[in-house]
Amino acid sequence: MQVASLIQDAAKRLLAEGQVELVLGFSEGSLPLRSTPGFVRRPEDAVKLIWDHTCENNLAVYLLKRKSKTAIVAKGCDTRAIVTLIQENQVDRNNLYIIGVPCTGMIDRRKVEALLEGQELMAARVDHDQLTVEGKDLEKTVPLAEVLHDTCKACTCPNPVIYDELAGERVPEKPAGDFNGIEAFEAMMAGERKAYLAEELSRCIRCYACRQACPLCYCEECFVDCSTPQWIGKAARTEDNLLFQAVRVFHLAGRCADCGACERACPVGLKLSLLTRKMVKEVKDLFDYEAGLDLERKPVLTTFAVNDPQAFLVKE
Amino acid sequence: MNNPYLPIPVRLTKNFIETEDRLIHTFTLQFLKEEDENSFSYMPGQFVEICVFGKGEAPFGIASSPTESGFLKFSVAKVGVVTTALHAMQEGSILGVRGPMGNGSAVEKLKGKNLVIIGGGFAFTTLRSLITYILHPGHRGDFGELTVIYGARNPGLLLYKEELAEWEKRSDINLVCTIDVPCEGWNKRVGFVPTCTKEVAPCSDNTYAIVCGPPVMIKFTTPVLEELGFSPGQVFLSLENKMKCGIGMCGRCNVGGKYVCKDGPVFTKEELDRLPPEY
Amino acid sequence: MIIKKSELSSFLDKLTGQYQVLAPVKKGLEFYFQPISSGVQADLSYSNSVTAPKGILFPQSETLFNYDVQGETADMQECLDTGKKVIFGLRPCDAKSLVLLDKVFHGEKYQDPYYLSRRANTVLVGLGCGEPRGTCFCASLDGGPFGTEGLDLLLVDIGDKYVVEVVSEKGASFLTGASLPLAGKDDRAAAAKAKETAFQACTINLEGLKEKMDVNYDDPVWGFLHEKCLGCGACTYSCPTCHCFDILDEVKDSTGCRVRNWDACMFPLFTLHGSGHNPRPTGKERFRQRFMHKFKYFVDNYGAFACVGCGRCILNCPVNIDIRQVLADIKAGGDEK
Ligand SMILES: Cc1cc2nc3c(=O)[nH]c(=O)nc-3n(C[C@H](O)[C@H](O)[C@H](O)COP(=O)(O)OP(=O)(O)OC[C@H]3O[C@@H](n4cnc5c(N)ncnc54)[C@H](O)[C@@H]3O)c2cc1C
Ligand code: SF4
Ligand code: SF4
Ligand code: SF4
Ligand code: SF4
Ligand code: FES
Repeated sequence: MQVASLIQDAAKRLLAEGQVELVLGFSEGSLPLRSTPGFVRRPEDAVKLIWDHTCENNLAVYLLKRKSKTAIVAKGCDTRAIVTLIQENQVDRNNLYIIGVPCTGMIDRRKVEALLEGQELMAARVDHDQLTVEGKDLEKTVPLAEVLHDTCKACTCPNPVIYDELAGERVPEKPAGDFNGIEAFEAMMAGERKAYLAEELSRCIRCYACRQACPLCYCEECFVDCSTPQWIGKAARTEDNLLFQAVRVFHLAGRCADCGACERACPVGLKLSLLTRKMVKEVKDLFDYEAGLDLERKPVLTTFAVNDPQAFLVKE
Repeated sequence: MNNPYLPIPVRLTKNFIETEDRLIHTFTLQFLKEEDENSFSYMPGQFVEICVFGKGEAPFGIASSPTESGFLKFSVAKVGVVTTALHAMQEGSILGVRGPMGNGSAVEKLKGKNLVIIGGGFAFTTLRSLITYILHPGHRGDFGELTVIYGARNPGLLLYKEELAEWEKRSDINLVCTIDVPCEGWNKRVGFVPTCTKEVAPCSDNTYAIVCGPPVMIKFTTPVLEELGFSPGQVFLSLENKMKCGIGMCGRCNVGGKYVCKDGPVFTKEELDRLPPEY
Repeated sequence: MIIKKSELSSFLDKLTGQYQVLAPVKKGLEFYFQPISSGVQADLSYSNSVTAPKGILFPQSETLFNYDVQGETADMQECLDTGKKVIFGLRPCDAKSLVLLDKVFHGEKYQDPYYLSRRANTVLVGLGCGEPRGTCFCASLDGGPFGTEGLDLLLVDIGDKYVVEVVSEKGASFLTGASLPLAGKDDRAAAAKAKETAFQACTINLEGLKEKMDVNYDDPVWGFLHEKCLGCGACTYSCPTCHCFDILDEVKDSTGCRVRNWDACMFPLFTLHGSGHNPRPTGKERFRQRFMHKFKYFVDNYGAFACVGCGRCILNCPVNIDIRQVLADIKAGGDEK
């Protein structure tokens, strides 16, 4: 059976039986290659739920502060965020029903745009593992794998980590994480890296879409909003934009689910995953910890082990 | 073009601790330049943006009355960046003032009427301005009977104690102060403002009510006035939405299509009833 | 008059001597309005810029004045920008948005000298849209792909050249001395033809919207419209008509400056009182404010919708909230369909 119909069936059943009041899923978007979060409350509306390569948002962000029984459609990375939220007492597992979906990757619209030579995307379709896109007077077919988000290409966790039911067959997992995407970034000299980031972040408009889209950025008062003391300049200046992202990434150390939600939300197309993934890699290298993979394992920054590396404590 | 963002420089001549909890100070400001003083004309109910250089600006109702020349007065509660800085300010320091802002036209409408002025907490500041204005010998004849109901949590939190004492002695104003709960040394009225209003408010005929206070007080006082026969057009309220520009451009102080800074801050209840309750 | 495409960059080169010229510049996949130092940097092959050129006249961040306060004196220095500018190749929707901002910044009682002085010193050279984007709906908002409101000149692309139409006196005097060749009959016919087709595409049905919004403050529709909104600034910061801002101080020792930054009604802090009370406490009230402001309050105050149909908010919203759909839902009202 199609994954979408499995999701619809589950949603319909859960709502009809009164097991949940709300199903968070994806529904048809208004533009080609776009879906939109769907909030379904009536069994008859379950048919609106879809599943395809455009379901890129991390819906876990909508679980915060939700009191009623909720079901959520969640990909592998989304469930990692959910695990962390449960560990951090932000989400009550008993109020949550997870419809896990094994994921084969989400399409990066910017990569598609780059194929279109400046033309507007008019239509797109996926046939097996090929994507065909149409501009006004041009059509292109490329392997789907080429236009997936970088976070998807490197993903080691396409299958949901926790779930109450699984919609679809498990997909093969990559044996080990690859950080190909950030290697070039890491290889830069410090000055070069700073210049690169400054150039990129000069485009940031401080809309905070990245923060708002991130399920783990849930602070009551974010440090950028704090006025006493004021930690950071509020103007969209490159230095402060840099500081904003740097601190955000630190606040997400050992927590970031590596889902790419922040990058996908950015209206100016900043490659935020370079920073978030660099941190994911650091945490993995230092503590052999990847956030949200195991509900039972204590979050890395809340525990201490005698053999933890201490390079950051003593200057060597 | 006149630049509405440039503050007028003023000197802080007095930083007075107004309440026993020390959280409200009254500030007296004097213009540095005489021409600024002459061109600054205001009416009770208007406000200014006070600027603490290096900290920013915040809006405050003018507590002095245009009948008191030579200075401006404000009573300010300590809540955040600007207000904390103000409280710590040394006398003699230079501050800035932008304004006067808001419509000061309400006073005109009050002429010829009996008035009941109802205030609670530190929102009493602009009411002080209005009362002082009305009591001025040049204006007293323009208004009918004057009743003032003023409530505070405890006696220590009443503002302008000396003036209150003077007003109590006068026959052309009926001042009723009340505190929330009984307290040693207080032999006057005890009870919340709405209850007190029910008991002492004058007949609503040819009378206007002016209400200024925290949202809860307003919420419970307006129905009492309605019971007493005050129509929504006879009740004036002053709003305190968050503000920045004070001139209707920054877009934050609106209640529906009205900007509190430019179209207010004083509205009749009749006007507010037509707007969404976003205040 | 005519500008040949092959001569466009030399035309711009000449301008850069006299004016600060701002034109669409490609960065990665996106276009931004930026000052150019040479004509070749301008790239008019764009559909529209990510953020609106309103930011040239009303920057995201600007210093209002510098001050130095010492002892008895307060020295304040206004930072008015009176430089001559040309915005070259802006889209008609964005030009129209400036007409709306004029209404805000040129109030009856107060005028904003920062915006208005830039506005007075800027020449707006528009570029008509032969190929409107699928998300454009300017024609329903008193504009159109070749609308001229707010512009001084309008360029119409007719293949290998642009026909230059003079819209205002400012535009006419801007061209004196440029010695451009006149448009021939064929050129004018080609321009007229280019305009014909574009219009139909850019419409949505707004009939009855304002009347509905006059009475729908308590409509249950608001309860679900906002649900997926993240409360970010991607829509308002890219919108050409949004004008909300914050004012704050930045200091170094005894000197400092008063700065204003864009702000947005979608952020909770926007209306939070010092006491902790918030008149628009949840996403629902904030989302309703954004739409009420654009489609009711602005109409009541200034007689026009505060939206020009540029479609940026549609393209930039991380959760695909499409203003066209939202407006249709508002009109339909009631519970979730
Ligand atoms: C027309 C008008 C007249 C006014 N008149 C007066 C007056 O006469 N006297 C007077 O004292 N005030 C008056 N106010 C209120 C006054 O403007 C605010 O108290 C002031 O703006 C606070 O500025 P600030 O910089 O100190 O606070 P900010 O630093 O801006 O602090 C407020 C911010 O800090 C946080 N914050 C601070 N306190 C709290 C809290 N208790 N709970 C939660 N968050 C909090 C919030 O984020 C809030 O936005 C008036 C307001 C208006 C609009
Ligand atoms: S989403 Fe992008 S533009 Fe917006 S604040 Fe984040 S990094 Fe900046
Ligand atoms: S509301 Fe959206 S479509 Fe309308 S002007 Fe703003 S960004 Fe453009
Ligand atoms: S909205 Fe209209 S004017 Fe603006 S870019 Fe699209 S077609 Fe052109
Ligand atoms: S861009 Fe979308 S998610 Fe962000 S505030 Fe606007 S409508 Fe909400
Ligand atoms: S304070 Fe800026 S609009 Fe009222």
